Amino acid sequence: MRDPDMPSLNIQNLSKSYGGTHALRNVSLKIHAGDIHALCGENGAGKSTLIKILSGVETPDQGLVQWNGSHLSLGKVHEMESKGIVAVHQEPVVFPDLNIVDNLYAGRELSSGMGTWLNTASMKQQTRDILDSLGEDLPLNQPVGEMALAQRQMVSIARALFNQCRILILDEPTASLTTRESDALFKTVISLKKQGVGILYVSHRLEEVFQLAEWISVLRDGILVSTQSSKDLSEDALIQQMVGRKVAYPSRQQPVNTDITKNKPVLELKALSRTPAYDDIHLKIHAGEILGMSGLVGAGRSEIARAIFGIDEFDTGEILFNGKKFQNHSIRKAIDLGIAMVPEDRQRQGLALPLSVETNLLLPSLNAFQGMTGLDRSQMRSISGQLISKLGIKTGSPDNPASALSGGNQQKIVLGKWIHQNPSLFILDEPTRGVDVGAKSEVHRMIIELAKQGSAVLLISSELPEILSLSDRILVIAKGHVSGELAREEANQETLLKLSLPEEAKQSP
Amino acid sequence: MKAIFLRILSLPETFLSCLIITLFALISQLDPSFLQWEVQRSLSSHIWELAIIAIPMTLIILTAGIDLSVGSIMSLSAITAGMLFQAGSSMPLACGAALLTGTIGGFLNGFFIARMRVHPLIITLATMATYRGIAEGISQAKPVSGFPAGFTRLGQDEWLNLPFAAWLFLIMFVSVFWVIHRRALGLHVYAIGNNDTASRFSGIHVDRILIGLYTFSGFASALAALLFVARRNTAKADIGMGIELGVITAVVIGGVSIFGGRGTLVGTCLGLLLIHETREFVSWHWNRDEFILIVLGLLLIVSVVFQKLLRHKQNSS
Amino acid sequence: MNHTDDTRKTSGWLRMITYLLRHRAIGLFLFIGLLTTVVSWINPAFLSGQNLRDIAVQAAPICIISCGVMLVLVAGEIDISVGSMMGVLAASMGIMVSASRAQLPPHVAIALTLLIGIGMGLFNGLLVAYVGVPSIIVTLGMLTALRGLTEIIMNGAWITDLPDEIRFLGTGTILSIPLSLWTTACVLAVTIWLIHRTPIGRRIYATGSNPQAAQLAGLSIKSIKLFVFAWTGLLTAVATLVSVPQLSVVDSGIGIGTELLVVTCVVVGGTSVNGGVGTLSGVLCGVALMTMISTVLIFLKLGEHATYWSRAIQGLFILGAILADHWISNHKK
Repeated sequence: MRDPDMPSLNIQNLSKSYGGTHALRNVSLKIHAGDIHALCGENGAGKSTLIKILSGVETPDQGLVQWNGSHLSLGKVHEMESKGIVAVHQEPVVFPDLNIVDNLYAGRELSSGMGTWLNTASMKQQTRDILDSLGEDLPLNQPVGEMALAQRQMVSIARALFNQCRILILDEPTASLTTRESDALFKTVISLKKQGVGILYVSHRLEEVFQLAEWISVLRDGILVSTQSSKDLSEDALIQQMVGRKVAYPSRQQPVNTDITKNKPVLELKALSRTPAYDDIHLKIHAGEILGMSGLVGAGRSEIARAIFGIDEFDTGEILFNGKKFQNHSIRKAIDLGIAMVPEDRQRQGLALPLSVETNLLLPSLNAFQGMTGLDRSQMRSISGQLISKLGIKTGSPDNPASALSGGNQQKIVLGKWIHQNPSLFILDEPTRGVDVGAKSEVHRMIIELAKQGSAVLLISSELPEILSLSDRILVIAKGHVSGELAREEANQETLLKLSLPEEAKQSP
Repeated sequence: MKAIFLRILSLPETFLSCLIITLFALISQLDPSFLQWEVQRSLSSHIWELAIIAIPMTLIILTAGIDLSVGSIMSLSAITAGMLFQAGSSMPLACGAALLTGTIGGFLNGFFIARMRVHPLIITLATMATYRGIAEGISQAKPVSGFPAGFTRLGQDEWLNLPFAAWLFLIMFVSVFWVIHRRALGLHVYAIGNNDTASRFSGIHVDRILIGLYTFSGFASALAALLFVARRNTAKADIGMGIELGVITAVVIGGVSIFGGRGTLVGTCLGLLLIHETREFVSWHWNRDEFILIVLGLLLIVSVVFQKLLRHKQNSS
Repeated sequence: MNHTDDTRKTSGWLRMITYLLRHRAIGLFLFIGLLTTVVSWINPAFLSGQNLRDIAVQAAPICIISCGVMLVLVAGEIDISVGSMMGVLAASMGIMVSASRAQLPPHVAIALTLLIGIGMGLFNGLLVAYVGVPSIIVTLGMLTALRGLTEIIMNGAWITDLPDEIRFLGTGTILSIPLSLWTTACVLAVTIWLIHRTPIGRRIYATGSNPQAAQLAGLSIKSIKLFVFAWTGLLTAVATLVSVPQLSVVDSGIGIGTELLVVTCVVVGGTSVNGGVGTLSGVLCGVALMTMISTVLIFLKLGEHATYWSRAIQGLFILGAILADHWISNHKK
């Protein structure tokens, strides 16, 4: 079936690490023109790093990439684009204020007379042709920022096609599309394949993968586990390969004497809804309990967390805290009630990076250090010193800027700034994202310690083993709904993954 | 050790102090008589109004904001006092009303900026026109003068060899310095300027602090307006025209980053001193006011370029 | 199946108002129409050819500079130095052509004035794009420094003896339409061409809309920023050439406050300070409205004291435009 003379993208021994974390280790892969090659793996398996390297955004530490036998110089977007290797990212990169034509042609406008006269008519015509070939009928004059996410995605794909594309990388292209839109996309993908374009198709949706791809490669913890023909693979076998790793996670001992669900519930959500992020969410967390919240990125987990912490408003439903309704919903109110939050984006939401470690650690509680004569600096120093040694934050001095610390130590600061206030509820959104292995297990131990001391913990994580080893109960969210609640004993990676995959039946009305 | 040395060397305050020392060395060569206390004191009479407004402006720029409307608030407050006095009200009442007007003007700025999340540059550009427009409208651009002696003495009297305005500035500086360095609020201001999302997520009342700072700025502008009126014994709608540029220039030369989060009150004071001495000396020695503007404009650009280079050097070493 | 439509459950009225506010030019245009109707109903002299012509001539220099500053804002920067640039340009032009000073031939003086304008713009642009100083700082510094330069050039004197050829630029007419209006029309035509018909125009919008994406698309952000500042410098020179000859005296105070009026017009016209958004038609309406307000107060026959309120009314209009923007963004979702 495959013509051996067809050009191919040959990836050899790519490795990339971020501050001690290996994102990719010796990955080798071959993508042939005219093939659809699927890439599967859990969140954090290294897929996005591979995409970034192939689109020239990142430079690998090691390894090389050949196109049609010749080496590519890596780390340059232009080099990749000029060879026709183009990625369409999950979050479409567009110019929100410009219309489709300008989006497609930015930087490569068709003009005559040495760039003094744009050929708008032919640009419009070609744009229409491309959209026609995609089976899309979009208004040419509307700013792209005002379009639906799916339409922006199409604009992104159209922009990629424009580059005489030879290898197209699609990163979760259907994540925000309806069934009908997905079908249109599949047709496009198949027709591109027939034109000889090689496609690297990255997706969580296994049925799509089996429907489209000839080849399936699986990444796990930065290592390429296998590349197989899709005909030789069953869905169960694929899931097995995606999750089947053995990493040492702390085993959590159940409390000896009591069943924690008999404790009073610290937090209760009743029919919490906000369109379109989440709908009809019910949950209860008890003192001393770790409730895991599992699901795919974008399923609505972070949005629920933000609502509990008073960052965003919600449409309907109510939040009960210690049995009382959480009124005058605001962040300060949430903190005063005893809620703490470790947000998903540490650098943008968690830390004032240029400020000192001490200031960051004490930021939510500075008012407590105010006396008649001013801030009690010696007390601040002693509390921050205690926190630094208790959490094992590696810093030369509490006066060093937080930006100088490694990811793991930064995360300990974000956790630590709440700890000495003894909150009764911790919301942890991806607490170990981008944290190296050593710091990761320290963070895990801290989480267990918090629960032991009687705090309730809502743990949001895309890493299944983390959820499985730490949680007492697990809630799975898919497409803004609770798709399952499992006791710790009945949960395993396969069931969680199956529950978090959105079913086709749910999304088409 | 070398790192600490480098760090001190790259502080904007160090750079500014060096500039000021150079300036004084130059002056003592060219014209030592300029450095006499009496000369200095007589030349300092109008700097205090600028300095009083520069204190809240420093805090506002630290939060990554800006207030262009300070000159217009001065105008509106001065006219409020003047019109009330002309209408026969007592001077203390007129002054109280002027301070209240300025405070409300500042509060409105803060309210629009914090609650509606509009860029401070745009909001204060709009209120800059509106406030001065109202002052022009109600005063019909006519001056009010003939204020009672008890009031004008505020602008002319001295206490312990320093004018009343200087004492006001000193009191304000010391108390704000204390708040910034000894109260939680100070660290909150820096946190907002560095990362306002993370500040909100840490439970800091970002909106309240912003509204408070712009209100403070309005109050300080009204105070400066009263000092100005007392010194000149006249209130007119064109007072404070362009003062915002002088204030912002002093703050930025003082090493406060226009993007917020970095800078100190001490830096602002050094910036004020540098600007003031440069301006007065050029005018005293050469008697050529036109050079002052060029020197100040270039000083602003050059000092920002230098601070940028120094920081770059420190970061790369 | 188009789910963007059925989620929008707003009433017809609300939708119409939102539409008008979002398409700023149309909304402003209707407002100007309404204002004109009311004023001319009270005082028909408002619609006389002479008055309309006066308003247009008064608006011409502001309109010309706004074409430049709009592009600076669209590219995501700001330029508040145009008023002082005008001062320098007026002073240097005056000295070059004055019969009692340099006495250069008018066409040489015009060319030199345009070059000086471009030069000052390039200086701003170089500091912003290549040295990386924030544009608000650079242009604030230039606002101060160039005013000082103007005073040095003029040295306390003033110039009244402009030659007739130069006077013609400001007061002359072709086909009984003032030359300054012809010039403005040319500038508008060139700007339309630049925005809609050249790659650089499209790239200015792309840069302001999403700088990261612009970099990924291979645009040279630095040269684009350099261009918008230089373009603004050139247009400021053009505006000086059409406005200064109308004055009887050239002194060192020309252009003071112009930067604020220009930024006001551009922002009222719907240009975003965050970059990426701005239409020439909106800016034109902004200029028209701001220029009309001062005249309208006279024609409403409210008496002399009303004219002193014009600045307050201008300010309230800007506030109104900001509130409208805020209202739209709240109703978008």
